[in-house]
Amino acid sequence: MTDPSPLLDVRGLTKRFYGSLALDRVSFSLARGEIHALVGENGAGKSTFIKILAGVYDADEGEIRLEGAPVEPRSRNLPLAFVHQDPALVDDLSVAENIAFIAGYPRRHGLIDWRGVQRQTSAIYETMRIPPIDPRRLVATLSTPEKAILNIVRTLAHTPKVLVLDEPTAALPEQDAHRLFDAMRRLREQGASIIYVSHRLHELFGLADRITVFRDGRNVHTGAMADITGGGIVEHMLGRAVELGHRGHPPPRREAPVLTVEGLVVDRRGPLDFTLRPGEVLGLVGLRGGGQEAVGRTLFGAKRAEAGTMTLAGRRLGADERIGERIAAGIVLLAGDRTGESTFPGMSLIENLFPNPLIRARSPFRLTSPAAERRQTRERLDRFDVRPRNEAALIDWLSGGNQQKVCLARWLEADARVVILEEPTAGVDIGAKIAIHRMLREAAAAGRAILVISSDLEEVATLCDRALVIDRGRAAGELSGSRLTVDGLIALSTLGGGATPPAPEGAAPASRAPDGAAATAFGG
Amino acid sequence: MPQSLTGRSFKALSEFVSTYGLLVVFVLVLALFTALRPSTFLSSGNIGNLLTSQSITALLAFAVMLPLTTGRFDMSVGYHIGLAHVLTIGLQVNAALPWPAAAAIVLVAGLAIGLVNGILVTRFRIDAFIATMGVGSLLYGISNWYTDGQQIPGFSLPDSFTGLTGFLNGVPVTALYVAVIGGLLWLVLERMPVGRSLYVIGSNARAAELSGINVANYVIGTFVGSGLLCALAGILLASILRAATPSVGPEYLLPAFAGVLLGATSIRPGRVNVPGTVLAVLVLAFSFSGVQQLGAAFYIEYFFNGGILILAVSLSVYAAIRRRKAAVSAST
Repeated sequence: MTDPSPLLDVRGLTKRFYGSLALDRVSFSLARGEIHALVGENGAGKSTFIKILAGVYDADEGEIRLEGAPVEPRSRNLPLAFVHQDPALVDDLSVAENIAFIAGYPRRHGLIDWRGVQRQTSAIYETMRIPPIDPRRLVATLSTPEKAILNIVRTLAHTPKVLVLDEPTAALPEQDAHRLFDAMRRLREQGASIIYVSHRLHELFGLADRITVFRDGRNVHTGAMADITGGGIVEHMLGRAVELGHRGHPPPRREAPVLTVEGLVVDRRGPLDFTLRPGEVLGLVGLRGGGQEAVGRTLFGAKRAEAGTMTLAGRRLGADERIGERIAAGIVLLAGDRTGESTFPGMSLIENLFPNPLIRARSPFRLTSPAAERRQTRERLDRFDVRPRNEAALIDWLSGGNQQKVCLARWLEADARVVILEEPTAGVDIGAKIAIHRMLREAAAAGRAILVISSDLEEVATLCDRALVIDRGRAAGELSGSRLTVDGLIALSTLGGGATPPAPEGAAPASRAPDGAAATAFGG
Repeated sequence: MPQSLTGRSFKALSEFVSTYGLLVVFVLVLALFTALRPSTFLSSGNIGNLLTSQSITALLAFAVMLPLTTGRFDMSVGYHIGLAHVLTIGLQVNAALPWPAAAAIVLVAGLAIGLVNGILVTRFRIDAFIATMGVGSLLYGISNWYTDGQQIPGFSLPDSFTGLTGFLNGVPVTALYVAVIGGLLWLVLERMPVGRSLYVIGSNARAAELSGINVANYVIGTFVGSGLLCALAGILLASILRAATPSVGPEYLLPAFAGVLLGATSIRPGRVNVPGTVLAVLVLAFSFSGVQQLGAAFYIEYFFNGGILILAVSLSVYAAIRRRKAAVSAST
């Protein structure tokens, strides 16, 4: 690709870690006013590349030029802004303060002007045309998508020349992701250049101008977005051809439901009714605040139901049961916030696979067999294709996708009847995603009932047999079989059950009037 | 490739140092002071005295270690051992109780104090550091109230009581207690589900909760264990001192913490553990004794303990950084 005068020009970048090659003579150019997608599997070198740009690591070889001038390795005053996947927000401060310590504190008479700080927050949200949140709210009280949006919004506050977004939509529901894309297009119109790292390939079409694919530390493809297909990108990423798209799952067995939920009300949202059969993969999707996460947490005993009944294999679940009792009854949950709620940092893969041996052991004071545990761990690492295949490795050493496989193995192998998964593939690469989906289908085929709570509509459309769109704790509609498509899910969740969706399959049965908040216009 | 070779041998070396470093230091300390003071340092008298007095520190270090497996500090252990030894002597001298009855009362009180600590930390959600400091001050108050600030001399204590801390075939009995209790704790922490649960809570309490672990109950359990260990250490201390002084106790806090934190840099680097703690207490005791025999002034002890505490924490922070770097090399 020829580029007359790139804004950012990287040539022959090489980086080694303890002798292994993380980046191998990578060249990369970023034009003025373009959105440049950067994709590749975990471990392909994207993160290393970005960290070198950010000045976290020094390159071993190669040069970086910004507007034609070589960038000194140690000068870090570049007009580059970075948005990382895990928001670096301060939980105990307000939204406005989290923006102010990036954008600056407005002052009056030399003192901080607190009203100005709040006005600044509202103004930034407004220019990005994102629905504002109360600037005085503590970040700790925000939901994951709200945090992700705040994380991005505050970086945009000081109009950088180059913006690097590292998987910013991993935690975002579809609709918020599109708000972000609109904001990115506006920035591009204003002349900003954006490097956009994402695992959600379908997002890139209609958004990115060019795409670069990394594989094994090398740049294997750079080209115009218009000249490539989704399958083409995946082939570059994996170095081989793959089958994407709906595989046509076998119809669920006609067995009695293992789980029946009736009239469930959580957080004053509901009521919700649904059933789940053995061997079935059911998706719960919805907009931010739809209440789908709360449903899973309530089934798992981490939240209390205000009304309604839950019946597991004929036994009604008690409202006061704790998580331990629900696990014993056969309900497990993989939490969506991997670092916050799933992994045990500083601990080995054995300990991460068996954090609570009481699930299998009878007494907390029974002697365990380290050899048996090691053997079972190795067997699971094999089956779930975890790398490195070393049971003594710390979980911290693994890539996101491999960490997720370990957490998945923890719960899929726990002999549960119902497996609840929150965002099972958030932030993992395409290879790991395909593998995780295969494992979930296998678990379903073995008779588990699986409940997937995901904001990745493509995932729900490919993985699930059936999906419920949840709005304010109620089922706004249900899609299954050939009607279960991304377009159908978007239509149902953004337009509600009552409107005429643009999806080819037509509207699901309308249970109630369309809701003003849900019927927001949708870009792309 | 030479680069990867040096990388690998460097990693192997740092792995060895981080696992057995404390053992190497212990051997070096013994060799150094034996060479400098050949006649006294390794004399059976010196070793016997050291092991007897350091057994108390080791037991208190275990008391600190238990809540620390879940990431909670127990700052009350110093005051607790003070109260326990005051009560052990006082109940025999003032209330004329036989020593087993006095010891039983002290153990029950220790259990209750641990329960109070645990409930304050879990049910009332008070930061463990603050809650246990408050409780510790209350215990110090009780010690002084019970004794009116005076020493209680134990003139006619029975032999069966003072014999608790004697010698058996030349081996100090208290060291045997430490060996037995340390062995049990090691089994509990390394080979039983309860130990796994405790370390898992220390790593990520939220994820532990979502794995079905009742975090509050386990945390309360560690404080109860800590209370019982403080009570036991107090009973043995009373047997060694044969008198009760209300001001005794607080000076044990720092060595106990130094032992646990220094111990966490070895054997199981990055987490508090039994063998590391025992080794660290021994290293501290023998090197301090050696420095004393070289003629150091009494106040050197404070420099020693404070310096070791800071060094121990610095080492564990450094070890954590090295492990994260290992993460980078493993994932690329």
